[in-house]
Amino acid sequence: MLRVLAQNADLVIFLFLTGLGYTAGSIAERRHYRSISRREAELLHLPVVTFKNPYPEESVRSGVMMMGSVVISIDYFKRLLAILRNIFGGRVTSYETLVDRARREAVLRLKEAARQKGCDMVVNLRLETSTIGQSANSRNSVGCVEVLAYGTAIALRRL
Amino acid sequence: MKFTPRPLSENVNVSKTHPLAELAWMLGGLALILLVFYLLVGQAVEVVAERLPAGAERWLGRQALKNFAVAENPELDRRLQTLLAALPVDSPLRRRDFQVWVAATDEINAVALPGECIVVFRGLLEAVASENELDMVLAHELGHFAHRDQLKGLGRGLVATFLTMTLFGNDSSAAGLVASLTLSFDARYSQRQEAAADAWGLDLLVARYGHAGGAVDFFARLSRRDDAPRLAYLRASHPHPEDRIRNLERRIAERQYRFETVVPLDSTRLLAEPPRP
Repeated sequence: MLRVLAQNADLVIFLFLTGLGYTAGSIAERRHYRSISRREAELLHLPVVTFKNPYPEESVRSGVMMMGSVVISIDYFKRLLAILRNIFGGRVTSYETLVDRARREAVLRLKEAARQKGCDMVVNLRLETSTIGQSANSRNSVGCVEVLAYGTAIALRRL
Repeated sequence: MKFTPRPLSENVNVSKTHPLAELAWMLGGLALILLVFYLLVGQAVEVVAERLPAGAERWLGRQALKNFAVAENPELDRRLQTLLAALPVDSPLRRRDFQVWVAATDEINAVALPGECIVVFRGLLEAVASENELDMVLAHELGHFAHRDQLKGLGRGLVATFLTMTLFGNDSSAAGLVASLTLSFDARYSQRQEAAADAWGLDLLVARYGHAGGAVDFFARLSRRDDAPRLAYLRASHPHPEDRIRNLERRIAERQYRFETVVPLDSTRLLAEPPRP
């Protein structure tokens, strides 16, 4: 039995990494989503909007640029699904949760930073993404996605 | 306008499909596509193998022979001629000009290459104990030529490699997955070929000696030496030695072949000439 395993070492390693990717990836994802939902509910009353500052200048006490950024890695299982998708075409659903988590986490971090600064809202929100680990689909390298959320956190003058 | 924050109840950015279901669908689809393609191309290879001109086959053989460090062996050539003489007069193999080469490798194996080349590995020559056993091995390889397996096997191998390379490039883990899928299709096919060559070789051995002595001895020894579990033979190109012995014994019983004493082999004469590097 051991000999069969040794002879097919590449296949065994591949299956192991895929299995590990699925279990660990699912657990991490579920925990992350739980944390995202909780924190989103907490920070619900700090609005983040994409339009520019709508308030007259005299009512804004301070405006400061804030950033929230996160890097999330794919796992072997997600990568396998994506590679198979490359053959058939269609929506790469395995990466959807990945970028969704990254976007929401980045915005959450932006909000948390704004709250620490005592700001009331974030205007002019922008999102940028980039990949880390260029050849994400090639052997022995697993890519990551970075999402950077930035915007102007403003504190309003209480009248 | 008053700003009222509301939590989102639904996430439109994430699909509801379960990843395992998606994996199953795609793997199943992939296996199906590969199977269909492989069967179609396999059929095409059979057709080409039946009709390939002798010149092209010899050229292929010369290319394949470059992979081995081989030396000529007149003694083995003489044995092969004696075996060929035992064939029926109308056998197409009689018209061909076979040559046996010895490769300086310790592996216990022999291969039939396109053209008229049989390469016997040195390890096999050291492992055979009787002339009958050696002739059984040669007859088995002749069986491959009789079924034109040397071309079919090469063709299918090329197709499988080509397929994985085109689909996935040289180094992606999916290529490994697909390669092992196609390998298992291929293993089933090639194990059937081997069994057919065994049966053909047995008949020739009996035609040559008048009895089936030595037909299974070699595989029996291999089987004792081989402690690999049967599971390993799922993907192997050759059947498990015990299965080969069983098949041969069934055929011996069916055709009521007799067993007589075998002629011991003086392997020093066979191995006397040092193989050319």
